[in-house]
Amino acid sequence: MARHKISSAALLIGAAMSVASAVSAETFRWAGTTDPQTMDPHAVNAAPVLSFLNNVYEGLVRRNGEMAVEPSLATSWEPLPEGAGWRFMLREGVTFHDGAEFNADDVLFSYERAVSETSDVKSWFASVTAVEKVDDYTVDFKTSSPNPLFPGSIANFMILDSGWAEANDATAPARESENFATRNANGTGPFRLTARDPGVETRLAPNDGWWDSLDSNVTEAVWTPIGNAATGLAALLSGEIDFISPIPLQDVEQVEGRDGFKVLSGLETRVIMLGFGHDHDTLKYSDETTDKNPFQDPRVRLSVAQAVDVATIDRVIMRGASEPASQLLPEGLSGWSEAHPDRPAFDADAAKAMLEEAGYPDGFSFGLMCPNDRYINDEALCRAVASMLAKIGVTAKVNAMPVRGYWDELRADNFDMYLLGWSPGTFDAEHPIRFLAHTPGERLGTWNFGGYSNARIDELLEPIQSEVDPAARQAMIDEVAGILQDEVAYVPLYTQPLIWAMKDSVDVVQRPDNFFLLRWVSVN
Amino acid sequence: MAVFILKRLIQSVFVMLAVAFLAFSLFSFVGDPISQMTGVETSLEDQARLREELGLNDPFIVQFARFTGDMLQGNFGYSYRTREPIGAMLLDRLPATLELGTVALIISLIAGIPAGIYTALNPRGVLSQSMLIATLIGVSIPTFVIGILLIFLFGVQLGWLPTFGRSGTVEIGWWRSSLFTVDGWRSLVLPGLTLGLFQLTLTMRLVRAQMMEVMRTDHIRFAIARGIPWRSIRYRHALSNTMIPVITVIGLQFGGVIAFSIVTESVFQWPGMGLLFLESIRFVDIPVMSVYLVVIAFFFVVINLLVDLLYLLIDPRLRVREAA
Repeated sequence: MARHKISSAALLIGAAMSVASAVSAETFRWAGTTDPQTMDPHAVNAAPVLSFLNNVYEGLVRRNGEMAVEPSLATSWEPLPEGAGWRFMLREGVTFHDGAEFNADDVLFSYERAVSETSDVKSWFASVTAVEKVDDYTVDFKTSSPNPLFPGSIANFMILDSGWAEANDATAPARESENFATRNANGTGPFRLTARDPGVETRLAPNDGWWDSLDSNVTEAVWTPIGNAATGLAALLSGEIDFISPIPLQDVEQVEGRDGFKVLSGLETRVIMLGFGHDHDTLKYSDETTDKNPFQDPRVRLSVAQAVDVATIDRVIMRGASEPASQLLPEGLSGWSEAHPDRPAFDADAAKAMLEEAGYPDGFSFGLMCPNDRYINDEALCRAVASMLAKIGVTAKVNAMPVRGYWDELRADNFDMYLLGWSPGTFDAEHPIRFLAHTPGERLGTWNFGGYSNARIDELLEPIQSEVDPAARQAMIDEVAGILQDEVAYVPLYTQPLIWAMKDSVDVVQRPDNFFLLRWVSVN
Repeated sequence: MAVFILKRLIQSVFVMLAVAFLAFSLFSFVGDPISQMTGVETSLEDQARLREELGLNDPFIVQFARFTGDMLQGNFGYSYRTREPIGAMLLDRLPATLELGTVALIISLIAGIPAGIYTALNPRGVLSQSMLIATLIGVSIPTFVIGILLIFLFGVQLGWLPTFGRSGTVEIGWWRSSLFTVDGWRSLVLPGLTLGLFQLTLTMRLVRAQMMEVMRTDHIRFAIARGIPWRSIRYRHALSNTMIPVITVIGLQFGGVIAFSIVTESVFQWPGMGLLFLESIRFVDIPVMSVYLVVIAFFFVVINLLVDLLYLLIDPRLRVREAA
């Protein structure tokens, strides 16, 4: 009898739940492959975390759908005299989700938190020497040298309420064990966190007291990570979720072919490129060339660039969705060099001749390292590159591996050539110069695995970071772009596409950095 | 009896230590946790500091000793990825895996035992032959393919059942159950079938083989000679003798069902321990992977112990030997 009661009560609960889901028609369900590992905006500087938390927290500035910087918690900003830093005028009357008021103290507190030892976002403030409160709604960020790009570079610096963090003992990002901010959030953003079950489901609801007007009719948003691509596709096609990103390129046709679904395909800000072991004196994976490294010769690197047919790769492997790239950042981003728009034309004969001139008429063999779960069709790309190089007599031995071990291998110099994708976090040409082109060190050139080194580029980085005059700055960036192209430091291949799939009834804005913002989502 | 259990428990500690050692030594090859824990712009000195804090620079044996020492004190440590306490993480995911495993097991028994009896009693029947072939095909197709096929058929084409996840859960204390709602059962059906299919085949073939063997034994022949009704011979005398080894194997298999639900959980995004394990591999979350494997080893040990005890109860010969 007792058992009977439980089950009928359970049935009632079940019935109530199905009724509830029928009433709230603007529940928006979306899925992706990676769950944000924390709700703490300063703990991990990774895209899944920052993209998700941009719905809940806000920075002083934010980026719009075209990546342009616009006011957010700061209404305006101006450089301090003599390049001493930046002054931000804060928005008045903004409240956090728990009702606490936002003011300069929260900015100061969030800055201290973001540069604390356990923070992973310290690099944003490398040039900042001090942050000072002028009054309750004015804050000065003092920098060691002029930093014209500073406002744009802190678009993901999110502001926490100092009172909330102190009351919940979360004044610093968690290091070993979690703290209150790992699973709870209290921002000023358009949505507030209502439930968090890590790895399973996270729920958000609109913030009725948001200071800006909301372009979204979503009344509840439910996020589910779905790791398996086929499962995610099935979940979309069965109507259980409204949106998923990314979907495999090969599934695009299937989604577009069905009634009621659409695919939004744009370009991500990520350039896929080949890198070389510039500072390796010998090849590590060659069968016959063991006493030298042919890739130290710029002519050999150029012949690689000429031998790779980017148009064919785009057509066959990227299904026409990518865009050829000539520099380390995609065309159209701030600082992209108009003076160097072209990549070396595909010309296998010229490549072969160049190889002969460099002293390798019979080619050589080498190892090409490649991730197999990091970029779109990355392993297929490496195999295609290998078969194109085979046509000029160079044998690439492809070694593809999961990304979880890939960076370690590259840092251990276990490659002759490698594949890399780069999305500039600041959306400016300075970013790849700092991380990919500068001579490797503790803070600069940290992703320059091949140890490319050019004294002139090293010398130009600092003035590029601090030059206030746009024309003078661009001239220096152009010079760096020219050196990188002349020396073929990298072989940029293409800009990777972004593939989002959704129901026809869903309207979204696809931002090129692959951030998904609920404030632009509407369900019809 | 007490000595027997004590002996087994001491053995099991060594089993788990061995598993922990193997797991730990393998995982150092999985990848670099630091590059998964930090962002692109993190400086190398910060990475090095984190590595030092997590003790990743210590020699392997020191790391292993620290891990087992903490485990023995009941401290499972924290996930590298989410910083949650691992004990709570696994406990959170445990109900989903246990319920899925149990449902899969029940499905395999309900269908497998009658099918086994039928095929044993009618070895040349058309239905028997087709059942044998069908289950052989079922067991030859990899689990994830079966899962995807079921999802596309019942989830996408027919739209009868959910394609992923575990909905309609009810919380009973800390145990989150999906057994008390219609929604919960709807989401259990497909993963339960996928996971249970292999067990079903196994159960059916085992019951069939045992039953055929028992039917040839002397006591059944004498029973036939005595003119005992067929019904009684088959379902009372033969079946009960068939079930003893079957129960053992099925009991042992339950550990396997729990451990190998990883693939099914991944295909159905079923939030159990197996899915957690897979996610942990992706992010090189070594502590979670190690604890998971130790916990799974513990399951096997406990289940084996229970099966042995059950044997002791069922089979009087073993009791006599223990006493002597």
